[in-house]
Amino acid sequence: MRGRFAIAALGLTEQGIRLGRSDRDLRGDAVERALREAGLERDAIDGYIHCWGEREDLRYLGLSPNFSWALSCGGATPTAGILAAIGMIEAGQAEMVACVYGIAPTSGYIPGVPDLKSIGAHSYGYPSLYGMMGAASAHALHARRHMHLFGTTSEQLGAVAVTQRAYAAVRPGTTGYGKPITLADHQGSPMIVDPFRRLDCCRDTDGGVAILVCKADRARQLSPNPVYILGAGMGQNIANWHKGIPYDHHDNIAPAKARAFAQAGITLADVDMAQLYDPFTISVIMQLEAYGFAPEGHGGPFVAEGGNGPDGPIPTNTAGGQLSGFYATGFTPIIEAIVQLRGQAGAGQLKKADIALCSGHGLNAGVQNSWNHATLLLGNQP
Amino acid sequence: MSIDLAVIKNLGGDHLDLPFWEGARRGELLLHRCGICGKHYWPASRCVEHGGTDMAWVPASGRGTVHTYTIMHHAYAPRMAPHVPYCVAVLKLEEGPFFHTNIVDCPMEGIHVGLEVAVRFEEDEVSGLTLPVFAPVA
Ligand SMILES: [Zn+2]
Repeated sequence: MRGRFAIAALGLTEQGIRLGRSDRDLRGDAVERALREAGLERDAIDGYIHCWGEREDLRYLGLSPNFSWALSCGGATPTAGILAAIGMIEAGQAEMVACVYGIAPTSGYIPGVPDLKSIGAHSYGYPSLYGMMGAASAHALHARRHMHLFGTTSEQLGAVAVTQRAYAAVRPGTTGYGKPITLADHQGSPMIVDPFRRLDCCRDTDGGVAILVCKADRARQLSPNPVYILGAGMGQNIANWHKGIPYDHHDNIAPAKARAFAQAGITLADVDMAQLYDPFTISVIMQLEAYGFAPEGHGGPFVAEGGNGPDGPIPTNTAGGQLSGFYATGFTPIIEAIVQLRGQAGAGQLKKADIALCSGHGLNAGVQNSWNHATLLLGNQP
Repeated sequence: MSIDLAVIKNLGGDHLDLPFWEGARRGELLLHRCGICGKHYWPASRCVEHGGTDMAWVPASGRGTVHTYTIMHHAYAPRMAPHVPYCVAVLKLEEGPFFHTNIVDCPMEGIHVGLEVAVRFEEDEVSGLTLPVFAPVA
């Protein structure tokens, strides 16, 4: 698998709050930008994977692919989309697949989000009978468990928020640009869903993103700096549910990690940066542990000592992540990996940026609260 | 009043869960048990080892411990506004399954992982269901 496929182009729109544009308009813009970057006409796109569930994009975007799929496994969808694109290329069904995402929830375009007044809001099923609503509550159950097992503190959660904001503060185009925060700001922000304070939570943003996935040879013809897919893997936390330990794990990361690293033929020591799915601060701590960057239970002290900072052993979420950058579902980590691997991160450019670990997770259920997890390893060399 | 299947479906369940909700209405907590290995499940499930050949709803002890929890300080739906702050806990029931619930008759600061609790039943006007809720064991 390693190096046989690549991302030939990234189309990224503005990302932010209340942009005043529709989600479809943002997706269209993202596709245009990706085509421009690759120097391609729109008929070059012969596969379209919408990382959500919209049906009428093709007409609006003027595309005529061989297939159009709606793919949905929450924040794991972008990596699942890349894997699906590779599968379709291997199966001879397409040569240039666009994986596209775009939402505009803060501008009033909220397709597919359940009515918050109804029972079953946020798809949490039976638990919603007891007022369990919103993604924060689902993640808070893992955070509380981590605090119980390992003594993780609110201040350690805050260290994630502060470090990531520091990354964002020097990165134009992020929601945190020019707005650093302190641990005191974090501790002073109101409790929302215990143990999460407001600054432990990311917020919804509007924006569009499109990547073009193709064989590596084709990508090299189109781009001076293609980003190679080194390996990928997925895991589902339902396996831990059946063992009675789902809340002790952020996700079922071990099988996803094992397959991705085996495909890439690398070890953790080869990874220059972690771009982790981080809707809430605990997500960073638990994933750093599960991937092995910090020993089990030591993710809190690790981030408190700056282990995830620019000079730490594993710079993490180097554009602020979802917490302080923007929320483009599982594309947030992939976008920053592409930017760093291409050396386009400006003041935030890492000194060594050859291999990136990206993650995503999503589509948890209510009772079983088990997410898909996706691992994606990207590199600037095949 | 019979259980409204549409309500159950809207919550991600189906008719297989009806015996549980009918039991709750009678003041009984039921779990779905595999007759081959004795493992308990909730909601209706197939045994991971033995499939669905010998699954049946059986009475549970109604006791469990808090496995993890959150305290909701923000009302994500208008109907929850009068209730904040409130606790959503995941219990580990004595028989093994997890169960999401509210902890009642307990100050928020008294809730912790490992807290022993026992079931009681409350009518829920919004869903029309009788809900198992849990209070600390005296
Ligand atoms: Zn069995």
